[in-house]
Amino acid sequence: MAVPPPPPRPRIPGSGLAKGLAVTLRTMTRKTVTAQYPDVQPELPPRSRGVIALFEENCTVCMLCARECPDWCIYIDSHKETVPAATPGGRERSRNVLDRFAIDFSLCMYCGICIEVCPFDALFWSPEFEYAETDILELTHERDKLREWMWTVPEPPALDLGAEEPKEIAAARKTAEKLEAQRAQEAQQNQEAQQADQAQQKAEGEE
Amino acid sequence: MNDVLDVALRLVIVFAVFMVLPLVVGQTEHKVMAHMQGRLGPMYAGGFHGWAQLVADGVKFAQKEDIVPAEADRRIFQLAPAVALLPYLLVLVAIPIGPSEGAVGQVVDAGIFFVLAVMGVGVLGSLMAGWASANKFSLLGGLRTAAQLLAYELPMLLAAASVAMAAGTVSLPGILDAFEWWWLPWQIVGALVFFVAGLAELQRPPFDMPVADSEIIFGAYTEYTGLRFALFLLAEYAGIVVLCGLTTVLFLGGWHGPFGADGLGWVWTLLKTAVLAFVVIWLRVSYPRLREDQLQKLAWTTLIPLALAQIALTGIVKVAIS
Amino acid sequence: MTLAATAAHAALAAHPAPSGFLSPTGVEIAFLLVGIATLGAALVTVTTKQLVHAALWLVVALGGLAVEYLLLTAEFIAWVQVLIYVGSVVVLLLFGLMLTRAPIGRSPDADSGNRWAALGVAVAAAGALVWVVVDAFRTTWIDLDGPAQGSTEATGSFLFRHWVLPFEALSVLLLAALVGAIVLSRKRGKEQS
Repeated sequence: MAVPPPPPRPRIPGSGLAKGLAVTLRTMTRKTVTAQYPDVQPELPPRSRGVIALFEENCTVCMLCARECPDWCIYIDSHKETVPAATPGGRERSRNVLDRFAIDFSLCMYCGICIEVCPFDALFWSPEFEYAETDILELTHERDKLREWMWTVPEPPALDLGAEEPKEIAAARKTAEKLEAQRAQEAQQNQEAQQADQAQQKAEGEE
Repeated sequence: MNDVLDVALRLVIVFAVFMVLPLVVGQTEHKVMAHMQGRLGPMYAGGFHGWAQLVADGVKFAQKEDIVPAEADRRIFQLAPAVALLPYLLVLVAIPIGPSEGAVGQVVDAGIFFVLAVMGVGVLGSLMAGWASANKFSLLGGLRTAAQLLAYELPMLLAAASVAMAAGTVSLPGILDAFEWWWLPWQIVGALVFFVAGLAELQRPPFDMPVADSEIIFGAYTEYTGLRFALFLLAEYAGIVVLCGLTTVLFLGGWHGPFGADGLGWVWTLLKTAVLAFVVIWLRVSYPRLREDQLQKLAWTTLIPLALAQIALTGIVKVAIS
Repeated sequence: MTLAATAAHAALAAHPAPSGFLSPTGVEIAFLLVGIATLGAALVTVTTKQLVHAALWLVVALGGLAVEYLLLTAEFIAWVQVLIYVGSVVVLLLFGLMLTRAPIGRSPDADSGNRWAALGVAVAAAGALVWVVVDAFRTTWIDLDGPAQGSTEATGSFLFRHWVLPFEALSVLLLAALVGAIVLSRKRGKEQS
């Protein structure tokens, strides 16, 4: 029970040839797809995985990134410093100080796990990609270079319409609202007190 | 003295055309082919849209070492590019581009036979190269070239003969003098046969079986490098110019145009030639290569019967109107 | 070729020869030189031991003949000579050679045992041709200043007015050869299958 073949379409001889010519001619009139890279920089989306940037003020030397890195290309050195007690009689605190933060981009496979895993938003993707070197050693970017990449990190893309508010902004807003409410309350109390004062003075004057 | 000067001037002009037009066609091919494939093509050489790409290529070819394979038949190997290229130069001498006496290098009485004969000689260059290279790919390329030439020479000649019958002369300016606009529909089949057979004779895609790079590297030219290789390439593009010019003269009315036939005849010739050259490039981009058996089949079972039918039609109409 | 020569002869016969035998004008000197070169090329063609070189020397010889035709003002015949012999016959010859095991260098067995017989036939044929041509033309001279007597028009009208019967006979002969070739190739195909 073979399916009967569809009735052959009436074909003009040579229509296939004409179609081939039409395709090439149409392509010729369209815009080319060539990327003229060194002359024209590519427009990369903000999430492009070009290079990893370090915002070292946020780094607490928790070592999560270095430990999660699949090919161990992140090098971190640090030491502990004790901070004297803030109040007399208080306890001394110890603090981690970053000595070295380096990423070896000859090993890095751009998986982005370090960025995902950083709890304090110290690592970012930057779309910069032109850092080829003639010496492989120079592909190990030390902290100052990683810091410089930080200035190339683009703004994050805007949230979708109706998206949930980011937690930190929500927290900040709540705090701000609370403060606002407090201030308003204080102002109201002041006003009431003033009004009470005025009413009293008036009463005294009338007497 | 004046005659000598005249001849020298004509030769210099023909030579200049011979050196410039193939390069123009080649550059156009670079760009048109690129855009038909969604690319830009050469953009650097010369600054503006890579206009000097072929000049740069020429400089590169000139700098390369001229290698002759140890096993090759030296003399013939070295002579082959010249044999391939020079016939096209000779043909160009006989192609009229304008109605006046000064617009043709040299009026040849048996013009059609001259151009077709000399173009046929050009293929000898490929055969010599194919045989003398001592390379099996070259040999295969040479064999295919020979087979292709034998198959397509006949329809080309028959189609040209049809025009000669229509015009009652075999001289190229004579044919153009006799041209009427209604020859266009009358000779259209002959024109198609001539153009297709010419493409096959030039080994242009889709008839580039003799140089099929995916099977036999570059056919007869496999062992060539440097300037000699460049000469073969130049021969191919000169061949395009000659073929388009000939088709224009024989079938499209050469310098005849809707207007301005007096002073601007040569513009019409060049314009028609350029359009045909564009078609040559267009066909190259659009169609895949024909297999060897398809090539032979097309020539013997399609083109030759069509050409014969065209001759019969030409004869009937010719008798009817006279 | 003979036919064309005879046609040309008929064209020339009308003009009585004003000049003597081998008067040294430029055209005649050129004619002689090209003739010698053609003869040399032809000799190399049959004596060289490299098969493809022989074919290419044949090109030179045939091209030399075409030049001779040109010098005799038979332009049409000259170009047809190039078209048919150089463009097709030699290509076919080379095609055939490429199918053989001919080496790039010298072929050890290029000399035929029949060469003396071949030489005899060649000398006899050449003698006959030279005798016929000399007998036919003697001291006929072409008037170079007048209209070209070997032009396409003249050749055509002679071929199809005076000599149409031999022309048709020749085409029948060629047709017979064509049919014979087809028959031969078909027969062999059956035996193989």
